[in-house]
Amino acid sequence: MAKLHGMAKRDARSTRIAATVFLFPAVALLIIYMVYPIFDTFRISSLKWNGFYTSEKINVGFDNWVELLHDELFWISFLHNIILMVCSILIQIPLGMALATFLDAGGRKFNIFKILWFLPYLMSSVAVGFLFYYLLATNGGLISGVASLFAGKRSLVDLLGKSPHALYAVIGVVAWQYTPFYMVYFIAGYSNIDTSLYEAAVIDGANRRQYIFKVAIPLLGPIFKTACTMSLIGSLKYFDLIWNMTQGGPNHGTELMATYMYKTSFQKFNMGYGSAIAGGMFILITVIALLFTKVFVVKEDY
Amino acid sequence: MKKLVALILAVLMVFGTLTVVTAEGGKNIPELTKEPLEILLWDIATEGVGRKAQEDAVARFMADYPNIHVTQVHKQNDTYKQDLQIGFSAKEGQPDMYIHWGGGPMAEYYKSGCANDITELFNTYDHPDFIDAAIAQSTYDGKVLAIPFGGLSGCDIFYNKQIFADLGIEVPQTITELEAACDKLIENGYVPFALANLPRWTGSMYYMYLVARHSGNAEFDAAYDGTGSFTSPAFIYAGNKIQDWVKKGYFNEGFNSMAPDNNDDRALLIQGVAAMMLHGSWQVAGVKNDDEEFYNNNLGVFRFPIDEEAQAAGVPQNVEIGTAIGNGFSFNCWLDAEHTQVDEEKLKACYVMATQYYNDDTYNAIQVEGGNTPSIKGYENVDDPNNKVVIDVFFSASNVQLWYDQYLPASVTEVHKDMMGELFGLNKTPEEVGQAQDEAMKAAREE
Repeated sequence: MAKLHGMAKRDARSTRIAATVFLFPAVALLIIYMVYPIFDTFRISSLKWNGFYTSEKINVGFDNWVELLHDELFWISFLHNIILMVCSILIQIPLGMALATFLDAGGRKFNIFKILWFLPYLMSSVAVGFLFYYLLATNGGLISGVASLFAGKRSLVDLLGKSPHALYAVIGVVAWQYTPFYMVYFIAGYSNIDTSLYEAAVIDGANRRQYIFKVAIPLLGPIFKTACTMSLIGSLKYFDLIWNMTQGGPNHGTELMATYMYKTSFQKFNMGYGSAIAGGMFILITVIALLFTKVFVVKEDY
Repeated sequence: MKKLVALILAVLMVFGTLTVVTAEGGKNIPELTKEPLEILLWDIATEGVGRKAQEDAVARFMADYPNIHVTQVHKQNDTYKQDLQIGFSAKEGQPDMYIHWGGGPMAEYYKSGCANDITELFNTYDHPDFIDAAIAQSTYDGKVLAIPFGGLSGCDIFYNKQIFADLGIEVPQTITELEAACDKLIENGYVPFALANLPRWTGSMYYMYLVARHSGNAEFDAAYDGTGSFTSPAFIYAGNKIQDWVKKGYFNEGFNSMAPDNNDDRALLIQGVAAMMLHGSWQVAGVKNDDEEFYNNNLGVFRFPIDEEAQAAGVPQNVEIGTAIGNGFSFNCWLDAEHTQVDEEKLKACYVMATQYYNDDTYNAIQVEGGNTPSIKGYENVDDPNNKVVIDVFFSASNVQLWYDQYLPASVTEVHKDMMGELFGLNKTPEEVGQAQDEAMKAAREE
């Protein structure tokens, strides 16, 4: 008995050691690349500093934060992020789910669609940005070309150069890029539903339509919630594609918090205030994401 | 046979002495260390003629000084300023020698301790005979901070000679004539000016020139040092003219989303949609590369027309916009991480490389071949008719105003560019545009 006890103890200890060893790399990476930068961002946000190692760092306390609260441009950027977020959730997730439903119903013979529709997500944001920059170009772009064809004369459609057109054009491109991701996500969700549930529904006399709306979609609830949360966080910190298409222009019409932060830190040489913007983003995104997961409660089991 | 050998020997001896003379006697350059030395050099020569010229220069330098090794890092132009700033934010791994465009950022690098003051080296040792404007643009606060090596760029109006001839339009000499020409072009279905204003420094060219024609350098200098304002008459005049021109359709549709990096503006000119384009003189080589036939048959260049009213009031009409250095090298050679003690040995090596290998005859020949004009006296005569106009305008200038977006401090530059977007987008009045720039300038001066 005593011996067994000792073995159990040894077991527990070796489990602890193994856990520590296996966790160490991940925790170390998280601390170095996530935790430390977050704290450092907040530290830098209290400085007046242009970002050069050799230049003077002046402690200004909460000055940058006070300025941030009164910075109209920051709140305009935030508003654009919110518009992007709402549109992303309203477009990408239903569309992704519709495509997934279609593919799920079709089974293997629709594999070609699965591949084609997934392609946009495989392209890097920079490539997508350039692709659509040329596609939407006022002079020589596809849209202008088609418009000229219908108008019967040379007509120029300026989608990216005017507000608010530019923001919605960009939202469309973002949807094009990310819908496939949610499609795959929902396909995985569908395949996780036990076939016995489908069989039970069929035996109970449900048709395909009733099965999807009454059984499958409610079961996808948790997936739906995670997808929304991901889309929400993604939209709030979005940067690369917008930067490549419009650089936040025209006249801040597509300015997002992240592009504003980048411009302030690296183009205006104002690292302190840039860090305050980054800190503001961090707080806003965390609060919104937490609120969302709290408000949007889904029953996790069936 | 003996005679031949003797002759060869004699020739060799003569050449031998010559080499010695040029290496030691002829030039006044600092003696460099014999110890091994590492130099980290950042440039933006990712492609084309520039890359070859610059890699060759470094190779020639290393061949002459085998103990010195230069690591040349080619950075992407578009993100270079950010890269440089991130480089300078680190304690180690900062470049010892780096390219920049002069102006506000150069001053910022110097004030932050990342650019050596090379006034003494410059006054003591040999360097190419740079034109005065180039030295002026390499100087800040009375200190020489950079060695130019990129060549000068003017800013002029490129036009389609064929369209002008077809409609019987003469090259406009005054702004009134320019407007008349624009109206005639619109009547005939042409867009007067091709403009790609996404990065907004292109729109800024119109603003800068209208201000310069209306007030010379006086009002800009005053606005810069705080004795005047960006809301003074010349700025209001420029703002109103631009908004008037936008309303009258002088610029192509969609200019705010078009990018000069993608040559959207040049395309409109070459396609014959637009008749004119105010742009940097690098477009001479650009158009030639894109469409040689168009270049030979259609392309012409003229200087920005004069403001006859201002001229009558005695305002000089030969203040031109552009850059006399193009690119400069600054040096960042220190013995300690806090940049308090200068690494003299390394600094001398960088100085010799920048003045004697970059900027030497071989380097300049490649530059001229590629359509660039070195900022060195003696390169004023060029054959190409379009380049000739550019160079003549540049050299007859009483003053060359560096682009505002490079001259102004970095924080003001962004505001200036934003305001150009607002001005061309008709979102703000010239007064509001001026006030915003005044505020930014005031904040920058107080730092």
